[in-house]
Amino acid sequence: MAEIVATMAMAHAPGVTGWLTSAPQEEQDAILAGYRRMGEHLRASAPDLLIGVANDHLLNLPLHDPPDFCIGTAQHWRGPAEFFLDWLQVEPYELAGNPTAARALAGTLTAEGVRLATSDELLFDDNWSVPLRFLTPDYDVPFVPIHMNCINPPLPEPASCYAAGLAIRKAILNDLPESMRVAFFATGGLSHEPGGKRYFQVEEKFDRWFLDLLATGDVERILAESTIEKMESAGGGGTTELLAWLVALGVATNKVANPVFYVPSVEMRCGIGGVVWKTA
Amino acid sequence: MFKPDLPSNRMVFEVRRDPALFTGFPGKLERVMTSYGLSEEEKEAWRKVDVRKLRELGVHPYFLPQITRLMHGSRKNDSSSTAAQAYRRSMVEGDSQ
Repeated sequence: MAEIVATMAMAHAPGVTGWLTSAPQEEQDAILAGYRRMGEHLRASAPDLLIGVANDHLLNLPLHDPPDFCIGTAQHWRGPAEFFLDWLQVEPYELAGNPTAARALAGTLTAEGVRLATSDELLFDDNWSVPLRFLTPDYDVPFVPIHMNCINPPLPEPASCYAAGLAIRKAILNDLPESMRVAFFATGGLSHEPGGKRYFQVEEKFDRWFLDLLATGDVERILAESTIEKMESAGGGGTTELLAWLVALGVATNKVANPVFYVPSVEMRCGIGGVVWKTA
Repeated sequence: MFKPDLPSNRMVFEVRRDPALFTGFPGKLERVMTSYGLSEEEKEAWRKVDVRKLRELGVHPYFLPQITRLMHGSRKNDSSSTAAQAYRRSMVEGDSQ
């Protein structure tokens, strides 16, 4: 069976690569230090494969009746998609996929009843381009992206997201090659409201509550309290990216999350933070 | 309320995926809007970058900041950027340009 060597979640705010220098210096320093720590944690785990889950941002999934998740099955990935180059200020990058692992995941998730599609053509935006720059700056670890519907109702409920994470965990442990070291990460959140009146606001109180809740490791409570409605109340159309974090919770071996950093950055228009789950 | 079949939604979805369309988009706006069959009400909101009106018409909220970037550029999209300021005027202050 394969081994889960890291489980993490973090924001993917485009300003981190696109306009960080517009933020106050102390915010810049804290954000960069936080992402560096996330990257160090990932690289210390020496993964053979990265699996990520993040909001599709209405970029690939159909506008009508999208699946909850879409697993990328390509042999090779590149990003960011051209439309996002100027915005993100990330140099174009390429990294390997792992179609065999992706199809194994898809088989197990489908059998577990997850509403799922697969695709070997996925455009990447900030969802991967921001975190990958810090997690694997040499883009030298094969990657299986899982795009998720976080903003086109009806959204997968928190319990469904957690269940999808459990199914991913099962697939990693049972279906991926013996001795393969797998790192899993979710990206998105924390509070932000692209498309609403609160576009220039951050809900720090909500963000800190959510991070503290994850740190309890109490799955039943986390799923009961971190509802879609509560996420929306902290920023419509963006904060529900935290559903991806609940997928990561399902994947995690030890359910107690350790907050790594948090910066409520108005200039980034996003609560920016990250957590890691213990691997034992 | 989001209307997936609204021509503006189909237009944003596809334009972002096609460099031939999004490059120099403001100069192509009239032609592209016509090709996607936008209503006159939608067209007028696009011309004014009136994202509040577009939201009322059924454009997905997530597309709204992207519309301001299509019209005003994406680079250094901080709060003082032309795109962000256009968004603020229309959505936050409600003073459509």
